[in-house]
Amino acid sequence: MWFVRLLSSSIGKKLIMATSGLLLVLFLMTHAAGNATIFMSSDVFQGYADELHSHPLIVLIFSISLLVLVLCHVAVGLYLFWENRQVSTSRYIITKRVVKNSFASETMPYTGLVVLLFLSVHIFGFTFSPKHVDISVTVKNLLSNFFYSLFYVIAFIALTIHLSHGFWSMLQTFGINHPRYNTLISRLTLGIPLFFLLIFGGVALYFMTGLGANY
Amino acid sequence: MSSINLTLKIWRQQNSDALGQLETYTLDAIHTDMSFLEMLDVLNEKLTKEGQDPVAFDHDCREGICGMCGAIIDGVAHGPEKEVTLCQLHMRHFKDGDTIVIEPFRSRAYPVKRDLLIDRSALDRIIQSGGYVSVNTGGTVDGNSIPIPSQQSELAMDAAACIGCGACVASCPNGAAMLFTSAKVSQLALLPQGQVERKQRALAMVEQMDKEGFGNCTNAKECEAVCPKGISIRNIARLNKEYLFAAMTEG
Repeated sequence: MWFVRLLSSSIGKKLIMATSGLLLVLFLMTHAAGNATIFMSSDVFQGYADELHSHPLIVLIFSISLLVLVLCHVAVGLYLFWENRQVSTSRYIITKRVVKNSFASETMPYTGLVVLLFLSVHIFGFTFSPKHVDISVTVKNLLSNFFYSLFYVIAFIALTIHLSHGFWSMLQTFGINHPRYNTLISRLTLGIPLFFLLIFGGVALYFMTGLGANY
Repeated sequence: MSSINLTLKIWRQQNSDALGQLETYTLDAIHTDMSFLEMLDVLNEKLTKEGQDPVAFDHDCREGICGMCGAIIDGVAHGPEKEVTLCQLHMRHFKDGDTIVIEPFRSRAYPVKRDLLIDRSALDRIIQSGGYVSVNTGGTVDGNSIPIPSQQSELAMDAAACIGCGACVASCPNGAAMLFTSAKVSQLALLPQGQVERKQRALAMVEQMDKEGFGNCTNAKECEAVCPKGISIRNIARLNKEYLFAAMTEG
């Protein structure tokens, strides 16, 4: 079958990573926009959450799609990590990377696993939080804990590093590499992860520092 | 003309099945105008006179255009200088008293045959699987009568600068052959003569590349950084596009 051949090839596996990565980034954008309401007030945030959950079908379809996307991204990512380790472990006595700022590309599997760990903590803490407590209260309760927030901030830094290679890499896999757009792409590759760090990290810091005490 | 004294640590391996290890040699009074391979020639002269086996290494034109030479010098393919092959690397880039570690290009698809000599026929098999034009495109006159935008022909020429030395694979953290394959696909996909077999070519060459046991590209850009011909990873983006389009519409 043509799509089995496509998806089992080395380029096809990269395309699965790029497509699922792109869709997850798009989800993060909607998530960041929603979370930004926290900076308004607890009422605004609660109102947003109530409105969203008054459409259970939307939430269900989104949740299932995200689960499939995350599973694809993680499973194929780990498979590629394992495959590449077969090829590359201790090839040379001296190994030197010529490319400067290669930290992000070298640590993709590790920053990805940190984000996965964060995801399980985050879903356990918020998606499956007690139903009788308002989500705006849960947010404050959980994130006011210094170490809980610190873990969040560290995870967001890992996400920023992950995307600072991932975003460009995704476009490269789609075949988008043109001198006219490469400057824009490199700016977006820095700007989009920093935007996420600003919003998501900002929420954690908001409660961590006590600024959000009476939000 | 100045000269330097060097300590060399060179990978020595009897054959594909033998275990190899680094051997240490000292070389005195190496002229800094010598190329790296000439320095190895001096070492081999010395080893031969001492009754030892000379170091086996690949080389041919020694002017940086054939793609035969290459080794990992202190962890970098073709050594510390940008956009040169090993034969065009000169000893003036080293200092007196330097210790230089010389290892063969490595990949799962490159068995070491002896010392620094490797078998790169996997790259040839990628070419054999589709890196050619087998339809009749006419003679020289016809060729000149086909209008090609200069930008296209320049991009095709940039891709065609690949000499197939295999440094991209050797330097890739995943041992991927994407830069090589993408250059060979691009040089034909960009020209009208390559259009007829364009899709089959992309499919066949990627399939062969995967079959040979090369790794997966993770866009680490190391290949582009060490390529003696400055082949751009823009070719890899083109190959990704070519392959996706071909896989979705052919076969």
